[in-house]
This record gives sequence, C-alpha cells and structure tokens, in this order.
Amino acid sequence: MSAGAPEERVWLGSGPGARVTHLIRAWPAVLRVAFAGLVAYRAEMVIWVLSATLPLVMLSLWNAASTGGPVGGYDQLAFTRYFAVNLVVRQLTGSWIVWELNWAIRKGELSPKLLRPMNPLVYNFAETLSALPFRAGVLLPLVGALAWWRPEVLFLPSPTVFFAFVASVLASFILAWTVQALFGMLAFWFEQSMGFWSAWFAIWSLLAGYFVPLDLFPAWAVAGTRLLPFYSTLGAPIDVLLGKVDPASTLATQWGWVVALSALAALTWRTGIRRYGAVGA
Amino acid sequence: MIEVRGLSKTYRVPVKKPGLAASFRSFFDREYKEVHAVADLSFSIAAGERVGFLGPNGAGKTTTLKMLSGLLYPTSGKIDVAGHVPQAREPAFLQRITLVMGQKQQLLWDLPAQETFELNRAMYGVDRKAYRETLDELVALLRAEPLLERPVRNLSLGERMKCELIAALIHRPQLLFLDEPTIGLDVEMQVQVRQFIAEHNRRTGATVILTSHYMQDIAALTPRLLIIDQGRLRFDGAVDTLTRQVAPERRVVVQQVLPELVPLGFSATEGRMVATVPAEAVNALLQRVLAVAPLVELGVEVPPLDEVIGRVFRGNRAEEGA
Repeated sequence: MSAGAPEERVWLGSGPGARVTHLIRAWPAVLRVAFAGLVAYRAEMVIWVLSATLPLVMLSLWNAASTGGPVGGYDQLAFTRYFAVNLVVRQLTGSWIVWELNWAIRKGELSPKLLRPMNPLVYNFAETLSALPFRAGVLLPLVGALAWWRPEVLFLPSPTVFFAFVASVLASFILAWTVQALFGMLAFWFEQSMGFWSAWFAIWSLLAGYFVPLDLFPAWAVAGTRLLPFYSTLGAPIDVLLGKVDPASTLATQWGWVVALSALAALTWRTGIRRYGAVGA
Repeated sequence: MIEVRGLSKTYRVPVKKPGLAASFRSFFDREYKEVHAVADLSFSIAAGERVGFLGPNGAGKTTTLKMLSGLLYPTSGKIDVAGHVPQAREPAFLQRITLVMGQKQQLLWDLPAQETFELNRAMYGVDRKAYRETLDELVALLRAEPLLERPVRNLSLGERMKCELIAALIHRPQLLFLDEPTIGLDVEMQVQVRQFIAEHNRRTGATVILTSHYMQDIAALTPRLLIIDQGRLRFDGAVDTLTRQVAPERRVVVQQVLPELVPLGFSATEGRMVATVPAEAVNALLQRVLAVAPLVELGVEVPPLDEVIGRVFRGNRAEEGA
C-alpha cells in the first residue's frame, strides 16, 4: 500500500527464464500451503488414498487363481510382487486434476485462479506433488503388512534397475497427471465431459496393467499394448522394476508420451482458455 | 490506464426447448443463438480514477469487467490496460491488477485466510517485509485481526469479504476491478466495505472500477459513471451531469397540506405538498410559497440516483421500441 512507490516495485518478467526463477522462489510456499490444504481434508484424504488399494483386491483374486500352479508364468509370489509394486506406483502417481478442472471450468471457479501470476495447472501440479508424503505415509503400513504376510516378496534390485524404476515412475506421474488434465480441459467444450474420462478409465484399467499384467495377454497383443500411453502410466514402471522389459526402450516410450501429451495439453489449454466463459459473475 | 476501442463480445449459446423430445432433438441437431453481450464499446479511464459500471442484470457490465481483467477474450475490438493486452495475462499485468468478485472467492475454503495471503505473497513474488507492512495496514483498516486464524468456512459472508479484499490487495495492485463487492452484505458491512475502498483509493491512488446494483456504492465511491445497457454505452460522465441531463427538474416539498398552494402548481401527497419544476424555476417558486405561507417548513429534493438511472434505462427501451 503506502509502503513503497510503484516504481520501486520489481515486476515479474514475462520471458521463460523469469517465469522459471519466479516459480522456483514461489515453490516452497506453494507446496507448504497445498500440503496444509490436504491436511485440512484428512478424513477425505485417507478415503481417497485407500480407494486406490484396488491392486490388493486384484492380488487376492490372482492369488486364489494361481493356487493350483502358475498362470501364464506367474506363480503366487510373482503375482504378489506384481500387485505390490502396482499398489506403490498407483499411489505415487495419483492425481485428481480431472475432477478439479472440470468443476472449476463449469462453475467459473477458474476465474480467480487465472488472475494469479501462476498458471492454475502449475499450481495443481504442485498440489499433486505435495500429496506425495501423505500417500507414502499410507503406503508404508500396507507394504509392511504385505511383507509380513509373504516375506519372500521383498527383493533388492540392482542400482541400475532402481534408477530406471525411479525415472519410469516419474514419467508415469507426469503422464497420469497430464492425461487427467487433458480430460479435465474437455469441459471447455463439453458440459458432460466426465463421460469421456469414465470411458478412458475403463480402457485404461484393462490396458495399463491395473487388473492384469500385460504379459498375460496373447503374445501378439503384448508388444502393441506396451506402446500405448495406458501402459506408460502404470505397467511400465512395474515391469521395469521386476525386470520384465528392457528399461531403455521402455523409458524412451514413456518419455516420448510425456513430451507428446504435454505438448498436446499445452495446445489444448491455449485453445480452450479462449472459450472459457467465466460463468456466474 | 485503460483504452477500450470498439469492444464486442458475442456468446454462442445452445437453445433447447423443454421436454424429452426436445432434448433428444437437441442431441443430434443443436441450435445456437448468438447473444451480443457487449457491442462496440469505447471509453478510456485515466490512472487514479474511480469509475462505476452501472446497468441492469445482463447489461454486459460484468462481461466488460471480465474482458478488462483478462478473463474473457473479446470477439472484436481493442483493449489496452496499463500497456498490456489483458487476455495475454502476462505476469507483469496480473501483478498490476486485482479482481474482487462478490460471488466468487479465491480464499482456500478449509484453511485460515492467512494461508491464502501467504500463497498469494509467494505467487506474486512480494518480499516478506513489504508483505508484512501491507498486511498489517489492510488488517487494521478492515479491523480483521480476529478473522485471520479461523478457517474460512467458519466466517460469515461479511467477514469473508473482508478477507477476500485483503487477499486481493496483498500485491498492492494499481488497478482494482470490483464486481459487486457488497452483494449480499448487510447495510453495516456495506458501509464498512465502501469506506475501506474509498480510504484505500485515497492512500494508494489506485484506479478503481466497480460494478454494483447498489446505488449507494456508486454514489459513495465513483464520481464517474459508465452506464451500459444491452451491451452498449449509454452514458459516460459525472453523476451530477447525468442528473442534470436526465432529471433536470427539482421537487419542492412543503411538509404540511396547504390547499392555498394548489394554484402555485402543488398537489397533496402523503401529508405533504409537492411541486415538480425545472431547476432554474426553484428560487422563484420558493419566494411565492413564502409569500403565501411564511412559516412553513420547505425542502428541495433532487430525484434519487436510482430513479435517475431507471429513467435512463426506460428511455433506452422506449427509443428502441419506437
């Protein structure tokens, strides 16, 4: 206010460099407030996180199915490992931007967010990141219980495999978030855009390796499905860690999708925002 | 500060008749209708001015405000706000403006308002010292100290508006867009918000652009009026000028019923005698009244602002109907 005349002010620059500097400076506070926001919803958050434990249900099914002997090369231990890693990856790559964006666009809640000098998508990405400690906290007892039930599930990957796994999970995280953001943006064009998301999720559940490891598919289908974006968001890091695929080519496919879909998301955002109606005052 | 030339905004809205059959038809063959929310608007506003946008619901004033603040893309026309094209929403532009919407909030619902202030501090890149000073000053002006630590969901509407104002001003914007900032507030809180905006403008010299349904907001805050109706600019000027143009007459009121004033043009209403005359005829009339009845209580009234505005709108409708 009266402190400091306008000419003493430092204006935020518009170039990409200035934006990155600003982002880095703002990042800690943004993460902290986003985390505080999540903690305020602690009950909802626990339910959300627990609802992502479907891999454990799938594990119990496949565990029962493989009591008589391995199914397509997967014995009980292999299934346990697969769905344990599935659970971890799914938790670490969870996001909710599709619901949030859909709501914000249709109800005009996007307006105040658009007028802050930080892109609402960037802010949501920070929020999603800030939920990670929370998600990890829920994962620990679950994974602990699994290890107690079947200790032989634990194994030590080589450093190379481990780092490939980390890079793969990171790609899955960005990709899963980007796909959700893309479907959320459809609300710029369609009033009932969540229907598209439901359709995507149904196909995804099947082709991402969520219910079934992809190598249980007929041999002719395996290579093809591994190239699709579904697999890149979940199955890829699981298979990298379990040594079922070549890490280098899998990472290349995943990061290729990250680049392609991020570009598509940026383009969609730019086009969609012109249609934004900022409804309701 | 603001230059607007030939600004228009046309929405394309789907038209659907009620009923299941119509829904079905609309699914395959949707009809659209074009709504011209804003049509060929031009005006300029200088730095430090306080301007009120006035118009009935759906007149286009909020659409105009949203285009000025960069939320909506114009269909055609040019806008320059502080050297920026608003819809590009460059950081240096966003840092100079703020938009307060009476019906939308930016406060994080489940957290104390302080958290939103802190978030905005980071997003706008305000350094901590300036932040502290600004916050202290705003909190003192709005007497908002007790509100800061309670979750926003537990605040009343008026308390929330105070916190919205603080959140909107943390970055010391030079240009304030206020869209119905007093809507739904009780009279006392409306007065507080008005006083705050006036005081803030006095201290900072920021430009204020306000839309409101409440004439008191306009009368108290904005010396200059832009009247928008059916997307077009109907009047641009001072409140006094408008009153002179649209309602040049005055009402001379005598606070008792005196039949002897009837020949002078008075008529009895609600226990008073009232005569409506052109402003320049008021003095002569007063002298004649005092000659007839020297001891009466006399008053001269200017038509209230909402009546004046009402006449502008009715006049426009009549013109278009003709």
